[in-house]
Amino acid sequence: MFGAGAMTNSIPEIRDAELLFVIGSNTTEAHPIIAMEMKRAVRNGAKLIVADPRAIWLTEIADIHMQIKPGTDVWLLNAMAHVIIAEGLQDQAFIDAHTEDFGEVIAAVADYTPEKAEEITGVPAEDIRQSARLYATTKHAGIYYTLGITEHTHGTDNVYCLANLVLMTGHLGRVSSGMNPLRGQNNVQGANDAGASPIFYPSYQRVSDPTAQAKFEAAWGVDLSPNEGQNLNQMMKEMGKSIRGLFVMGEDIVLSEPNTGAIEAGLNGIDFLVMQDIFPNETMRYADVVFPAGCFAEKEGVFTNSDRRVQLVRKAVDPPGQARADWRILCDLARAVGYPMPAYADPSEIYAEMASLSPKFAGISHARIAEEGGLQWPCSHVDHPGTVTLHGDGPIKGKGSFQGVFYRPSAELASPEYPLVLSTGRTLYHYNSATQTRRDGGLDAKQSENFIQMHPQDARRLDVANGERVSVISRRGQIGAVVERTRSVRPGCVWMPFHFSEDMANRLTNDAGDAVTGTGEYKVCAVRVEQFSG
Amino acid sequence: MSDFEIMIDGQTVGASDGETVLTAAIRAGVSIPTLCHDPRLDPAAACRTCLVEVSGSGRLQPACAWKAQADMTVVTENPRIKRHRAVLLSMYLADHALDDEGLPVERPNGNQLREMVIKEGHAFDLVPVAAPRGNREDKNPYVQFNPDACILCARCTRYCDEVEAVSAISLAGRGSATTISTVAERSLLDTSCELCGGCIDVCPTGAMFEGKAPVHAPEAIEKVRSTCNFCGVGCQLDLNVLDGKVIKVTAPPPGTTVNDGNLCVKGRFAYDFVHHDDRLTTPLIRRDDGELHPCSWDEAISAAAAGLLAVKKNHGADALGFISSARCTVEENYLVQKMSRAAFGTNNCHQCAAT
Repeated sequence: MFGAGAMTNSIPEIRDAELLFVIGSNTTEAHPIIAMEMKRAVRNGAKLIVADPRAIWLTEIADIHMQIKPGTDVWLLNAMAHVIIAEGLQDQAFIDAHTEDFGEVIAAVADYTPEKAEEITGVPAEDIRQSARLYATTKHAGIYYTLGITEHTHGTDNVYCLANLVLMTGHLGRVSSGMNPLRGQNNVQGANDAGASPIFYPSYQRVSDPTAQAKFEAAWGVDLSPNEGQNLNQMMKEMGKSIRGLFVMGEDIVLSEPNTGAIEAGLNGIDFLVMQDIFPNETMRYADVVFPAGCFAEKEGVFTNSDRRVQLVRKAVDPPGQARADWRILCDLARAVGYPMPAYADPSEIYAEMASLSPKFAGISHARIAEEGGLQWPCSHVDHPGTVTLHGDGPIKGKGSFQGVFYRPSAELASPEYPLVLSTGRTLYHYNSATQTRRDGGLDAKQSENFIQMHPQDARRLDVANGERVSVISRRGQIGAVVERTRSVRPGCVWMPFHFSEDMANRLTNDAGDAVTGTGEYKVCAVRVEQFSG
Repeated sequence: MSDFEIMIDGQTVGASDGETVLTAAIRAGVSIPTLCHDPRLDPAAACRTCLVEVSGSGRLQPACAWKAQADMTVVTENPRIKRHRAVLLSMYLADHALDDEGLPVERPNGNQLREMVIKEGHAFDLVPVAAPRGNREDKNPYVQFNPDACILCARCTRYCDEVEAVSAISLAGRGSATTISTVAERSLLDTSCELCGGCIDVCPTGAMFEGKAPVHAPEAIEKVRSTCNFCGVGCQLDLNVLDGKVIKVTAPPPGTTVNDGNLCVKGRFAYDFVHHDDRLTTPLIRRDDGELHPCSWDEAISAAAAGLLAVKKNHGADALGFISSARCTVEENYLVQKMSRAAFGTNNCHQCAAT
């Protein structure tokens, strides 16, 4: 890999790309405005390669659609690497100057021929060859991916495979040419940057690094734990075991985390739960104390978007009733347990404290953003203009390392009892647990109930009609959904959104996590579909 | 970087190959009136308000579509051009809803035709056009169309084709009865429309408007620039505030922010949640009856502190977990991890989008 987890390019660079390789991202629905930039690039003549199990909107304007079987990404990407190496299309000068361990990849992909990949992935070998050639030989070629890559037990492997393609073709550190994870939520990037992580302080300084620990101990005036914490996936599984008390801000864990039944059992097993949110939600049934918080229109602060752009959130209206901005509540709670949180006058002072401890954001302040507009990190001092394209002078941390990766099947595969493979995701008209979007008449008019996309072949075999309500059952739970017969999914695969609290898709999903990140396998679990039975 | 120079109103201006007279003029700070122009769209030269004199052409030419060429001389303001605009605006007035003063009716998002008539005047009063543009019922609550305010500049249909690329609306009919419509006059809900509302945003005269926003005078609004709270694109948007409520969301001008003037259905229309009756408005505490009851902030904070400290006392700091939120601000995430680490003593802190 090559350093920071963030888009290496910027959103406005997309329009100037000559090739877009979109994998595991239904961009028009999950990131509509980035999709507009992609449409513009294609109008300007860019090639578009889409790898996705579904015929998503972008496939209508794509040059190649590789309709991959869910969970076989490593096969597909290794086969592309195989083609590039076999045909000598790699950028040897870049590899020699900026990378190490290329030999690992050469060895790892040797057996991943396009023909064998076709058997596993369902993608024609010729499409794999064409995609690999186009990607390798186009100068301004960018990769765009999101949770279709990461929400697997082999999510980290998928990312390594993409990084291998980027490094072997030298598609890094140039305009419109890089590796671009599109962040699913408004401030995923910013939450990571701020150190809401079991292993990192703000600005990706490791809690296990004694120097970093000493720095934050001096700044915060207390001794700190040198032990890495549990990640979210571990904490969810440890509820009622090693985790006995929980503070949850701004997430409905019952609706959003995989394997709802296990989450509910865990919440029943803990001693104390504090929840802070703007709406009642499913998790509130387990809360001992609930704090009413302010929404984005009711407070000041910054969000950091997918292209590392730190932008202001401004207060437009007052919170309702006694609700208060989250930052005020957090300060009060910390003080109530005896920790002397400073008397921040407003969030600009909180940001200033963080920036003073964070090399990547040291030059960013509310005042500067108000003056200049959004600033992209790294931004190391007040005169630094921010960074539009990462790695302009080679990978951030010395040389980028290749990682040889080998295919591992998803944790749960189709079986006679559960013959269909379910993937879940977001639609254009709703947002995650949908506490906000389902309270909007037009959005609810467009999509008001849970649905399951199913290929006509499967629907015929199961004897279910378009619009019929069915039961969907996995090893973990059962929910209802209305059938949408469509050829946009592969036979044997079904797809469902996770927005509907009355039919929670995460009752079905598998909480098996990626070994490195703990990210749950939302994209692959085995289900069966039956006539509806309450 | 310019490839050559042209002269606009006596001013030397650099221009590049393929560039139009209008974009060169905008860069030089020369103002040319337009109604159908949008920097995101291919030039249509439909509204004819940007006609200027260019050397080498006897006729006035549309600045928005006419390509700049080396040594070209452009005049944007003289009696001939003013006469052209006044006659043109007279024709627009004959086919537009007018107020008591004979000016194009003001609209909540403004009416650029009204502003132009006030600035440029008009030549004469023509007999009003007697062929009303057709309209259709549309049950969607977001995007509505008022044919009386339409000037057929086709910014909406071109945006729908070229930027959003779903081609849900198009010009329909012939002659002065031409209107904006959908296939078989369907509701937008039953078309390829994705309800992005870009058609509302690009409409210069308020013919495309937001069905659910209250009618108001444009100047009654306070616009607060902020960042969208849905996906990770980070679109900049203006919260339109009236009487302490967000009543509408609009996009900043194209070319000024990361979203280039665009918004999606959620960013533009999904703001009803802000003032929804279901919002949590008071702290709640679970009492001996097993139910959540309203309580004071002091009691809620004390109870939360006591409950979390009791877990720490009985099971150690690492028996606590802190789940932060990718929906909240950077500062709030900073405070959650600082509280987790400094106030409670554990690194069991992770943001919600981690799984």
